[in-house]
Order: sequence, then C-alpha cells, then structure tokens
Amino acid sequence: MRRILSRLFVVPAIALAVLLLAPAPSANAHGETAQEAFLRMGTVSFWDVKFSATEVEQGEQLKVTGTAKILETWPEQLGEPELGFIGVVAPGPVVIIKERKINGAPAPHAIEVHKGGVYNFEITIAGRRPGRWHVHPIFGIHGAGSLLGPGQYIEVKESGKAFTNPVKLASGQVVDLEKVGMGDVAFWAVVWLVVGLVWLLYWIVPKRTVARLPVTSQIPLNTDGMEYGLITKRDHKAMNVIMAVTLVLLAGGWIYQARAYPEKMPQQVLRFEPEPVAMTPSFVQAKATEVRYDDATHTVTMIVDVKNTGTRPATLQGFTTTTLTFPTAGVAEPVDGRSMTVSPSPTVAPGQATKLTLTISDHVWREERLIPIGESRMQITGVLRFKDDAGAENFVTVQSFITSLSA
Amino acid sequence: MATTYTTTDARPPDSRTEALRALLNRRYRFLDRKWDIVFWATAVFVVAAAADITKLLFAGDWDFWTDWKDRQWWPIITPFAVIIIPSALQYIQWLAWRMPTGATYTALCLAVASWIGRIVQWDWFAGFPLNFVWPVSIIAAAIWLDWVLLKTKSMVLTSLIGGFGFALILWFANYITLAPFLQPMEWMGLPMTVADVQGIEYVRAQTPEYLRMIEHGSLRTFLGETQYVSLAFGGTLAVAGYWIGQAIARGLAIWPIGRYIKKF
Repeated sequence: MRRILSRLFVVPAIALAVLLLAPAPSANAHGETAQEAFLRMGTVSFWDVKFSATEVEQGEQLKVTGTAKILETWPEQLGEPELGFIGVVAPGPVVIIKERKINGAPAPHAIEVHKGGVYNFEITIAGRRPGRWHVHPIFGIHGAGSLLGPGQYIEVKESGKAFTNPVKLASGQVVDLEKVGMGDVAFWAVVWLVVGLVWLLYWIVPKRTVARLPVTSQIPLNTDGMEYGLITKRDHKAMNVIMAVTLVLLAGGWIYQARAYPEKMPQQVLRFEPEPVAMTPSFVQAKATEVRYDDATHTVTMIVDVKNTGTRPATLQGFTTTTLTFPTAGVAEPVDGRSMTVSPSPTVAPGQATKLTLTISDHVWREERLIPIGESRMQITGVLRFKDDAGAENFVTVQSFITSLSA
Repeated sequence: MATTYTTTDARPPDSRTEALRALLNRRYRFLDRKWDIVFWATAVFVVAAAADITKLLFAGDWDFWTDWKDRQWWPIITPFAVIIIPSALQYIQWLAWRMPTGATYTALCLAVASWIGRIVQWDWFAGFPLNFVWPVSIIAAAIWLDWVLLKTKSMVLTSLIGGFGFALILWFANYITLAPFLQPMEWMGLPMTVADVQGIEYVRAQTPEYLRMIEHGSLRTFLGETQYVSLAFGGTLAVAGYWIGQAIARGLAIWPIGRYIKKF
C-alpha cells in the first residue's frame, strides 16, 4: 500500500520537476488565432504591410509601413470605434519605437478613429535586444480589443557595444533614455532603506520580541506600556530623531529636485484625428452574394456581383482578410505562396455588371482558424482590391454568410 | 539582557505594575531570542508577498511605469493600495509586541520584494530598462505612520493623522525620484516628458496607449492645480485603506488565532 501511495506521489512529482526544468520554447505568436474568426475578418483589415528590413543591428532602424482600415462591417456588439492605437507588438521591448506617423502626421499616442477610416501607418523601430523576434503591427480599438497585422521575423544582431538610446532634452542636454534618472532612483531607494532599517533595528535588535507578549496581552491597546518598560522615553527620543531626519531628507530631496530639474511638466496625452487619406473616387461596386466552404479541399468559393461604374477597365487584384492577402493568379505575384483564381475574368469592362467567382484553396483557412465554423456568426468578410488601367485603386469591403459547408 | 525602563510618574509602582515589569524581564527557557529571529525572518516572505500583491492588485500600472506616475491618479490610487498591509502589520505588532514597527517593517519587506521583482522579472526577463519600471518607496511614509502611532497610541488618530500624512509623504518622497522623468523634450516635434517618451519607445506588448489612466484634463479642474485636489482625495482614501488593513488584521489575522487558542 505504501509503495502504491509513494508511486502516486513520486511519479507526478518527477513529471512536474521535468516540466518545470525543461527549457521552454520562446513564444512566437501573440494569440492572434485565439480571437473569433468572424470578428477578426469583420473589424480591421491590413494591407500592403511591409518591413524595410528583416535584419538589423542593435540601434539600427527599420520601417514598418502599411494600411489599416476599420471596416464598414465593424460589428455593432463591439460598440462604435472612437479611439484607436496603431503600434507594434513584439516580445517586450526587443525593439524600440523611434517614430510613428499616421496618415503622414506624427502620432505618438492614440488617435480618434471612425468606422470606414483608412489609416496609413509608418512606424520606425530600432533593434534593441539581440535575437530573432516576431514583430507585428497592431491596431487597438478602445473598448473592443486589438487586431494584429501581418507579422515578420526580425533578426536583431549584437552591435558589439552596449546599447544606448540617446535623446535630447528641451534644455539641449543629451541623455541616455536607458539610464536617465536611475542614479536618483537608486540613491533614494538606498537612503530610505537605510533610514527604515535604522528604525526597525532599533526595536528588534536590543529588545526582545516574543517575550513581550505575556505583558502586552494584559494591557489595553491604547497605551505604550511605559510604566512596564515596554516603550521608554529614550525610545520616544530616538524615534523623534529618526522622524526628524526623515523630514529633513524629504525637504532636502525636494530642494535638490527643484534645483537639479527646474524644468518639468506633467505627462502628456496627445490625441487627434488624422487627416483622411486622399481616396480615389469610387469606380467599382461589389457585393458578395454567396460563400461556400469545402473542408476537404480547404477551399473558399465566393460569388461576387461586380459593377464597373468607371470609364476604364477595372481588374480585381486580390482579396485581403485579417492579416492575409490572396492576389489574383495571373494578375499579381503570389504573397507567401498564396493566390486566388477568378472566373470568368478578373477584368471588368467600363459599365459592365458581372458575377465573379473567387476561389481560394489554402490550408491557411484551417491553420489560422479563419473559417468561423462553430462560431455564433458564420460570416466571411474581406476587402477586394480593384485597379484600373490608369493605376487608380478602389478597396471594396465585402461580406457574406457562409451558405454551404461543401463545394 | 537587562531592560531599562522609566515610569511616567515618581509614585511607587503598584503590585500589578511590578508584576508586569517582572514578567517583561522574565527569562524563559524555550521562549528565547531564537524565536524572535524566527518570527522576524519568516514573516518577511509573507508580509512582502501580501504587500506586493496588494499593491499590484490595486495600483498595478501606476507603479510599473514612469509615464503612469501622473499628478492626478497616482497620488490617489497608490497610497490607498500600499497602506493596507502596513496598517495590518502595525496593528499586529503593536498589539503583540507594543512596537511601532509594523508599517516600517512592511515597507522594508515591500521594498526588497519590489526591487527583486523589478530587477529579475522586468529587467532581466522582460528586458525593460530599470529607470522605466522602478517601484515607489513607501518607507518614509511608513516611518511617519509608525511615529504617529507611537505618539498617539491610538489607531483612530493614526488612521486620521497618519493615514492622511502617509499619502502626502508618499507623494513627496517619490516625486523627488520622478522629477528627472518629468523633464520636457520633443518627440517628432511634439512636446512631452521623458516619461512619455519612455512609454512610447519601450514596446509594451498588447497595451495600447489609450489604456493609460492618467490626467486627461476636465472642466472640473481646480485652476489647473490637479495635484493638490488629488493629494487631498488620496489622503482621504488612505484613511479608508488604513481601516481595510485594520479589518484584515483584526478579522483575519488576530481573531482566528484567538479562537484557536481559546479551544485549549
């Protein structure tokens, strides 16, 4: 019996020890596939996301550029989008953000946003910690949550010298953002630690502790027990001195900071509404009427009614949903090996109204948990990109419920 | 060890006083200094954990980042969060040993725990620079709290005078270390503080800037002197926090032990 019991404890204990001691693999995902597919597809769409480099040295900069749109299909249950924040997600401060522009304007903080808003972002980041890091752009909407854009591995190489982050203060002084103010923080941490220790050790070193309980348990709470020797006048005097020293240190510290850092201001909250991007006048209308999904072949088939209202032929360039883009085969280069076929033809003549069949066969629908089977709203949403022969582009949001789960 | 004691009046002590004096100086065979060391040393971990968890639970981000240490919410939230456990320990140590040490002891435990956490978790593991994630120090404020208890010998007065002063001293002591981070600079041509720039540059994964709860301005501000209103409100909340600590000490720490002992 003892043997069985000991095994019952020993085996899980060994398993736990192995689990705890085994080296953990680094996390390269940021929970993007955990969100419901229909919400990922129907809220924010990213396109043309580019990283200017995939390998930088510590301190060396690269740009993350692209476009994010809050889709017109933003679901009502998430509330109206009013405040958003475009940033980057990485495993902590492995990179630092040196600049951020939204629609061409500096945007250090959150911006005022709205449904249908298109935001061109340009984020300059610099390598900080050596390693291979997965970096995404991210669009957070206040009250709803954050949506990730397409990610990219960035290799930050060791520069061979200690990383510094020099910034210029308004006074003209250049400081290292990695270390500025740390001297003051450390100094005062030690000062207060010493003063606190003096206070504490005064009581606990010369005086007995536990042996006082038989006396304190017999006297009222609102007395210092001076008549029994629990607290003496000498104790009072000593504590007065330490309290006075504390107040003097506070006053001294206050005078020091006022002299050392005369120019100060409160933390800032810089919010604004970015100027809308110049959009090409609409020359195409599109409406998804039917979506089918075949699980056996991982194929999404979408029927779209398209009307060219412009004066030039318009060609369907591709379909974008969440972080994925499927360029039209034969029209644009595949992205990460992905493409879609369009029949009868991706080009729509001026004035022509037609029905296009978009076919996308890709394991990514399953891998990215993008088919909302089992979710409360089985709906596919994305952006169709049309281009006329003069180079003008239209981005049209389409959405449809999945009408069949087989081809 | 001889104990020096002084009576408050010149009259000869009565027999009960004499008995208690003798009891204080009595030598116990098993209740020696080793138990004192055991108490003070083992309590460090429990007290540090309790204080740190309470702080993280209530003050969280205001204590993590310099760009959250603002003049409106920081002086309100932090004193409330960090006075609870010092108050509890103050009651316990005053009741049991008659030592005005509970708040300072907690503050020292918290300082050690916070710094270990910031260095190991935030700097070494997560990679944030320490000058962005330094914790507040509550030691000066805790000394004040213990001193007020020593002088007043009253938990009620300590809560009112000590609690309010605790919030003020906490802010004064930590504003000294915050000052370098409030220096103005420009980021992409826009004026902001060093702390703001730290908040922008050092990526906080999946923490959009709009989650930062700091002073945003209000039509109800008092001639722009937000910090004084916040300090007054923070002081009041600290008084309330003090009594939460008292409730924890009296209800959860002392009362169950008393019940347990009575059974024997």
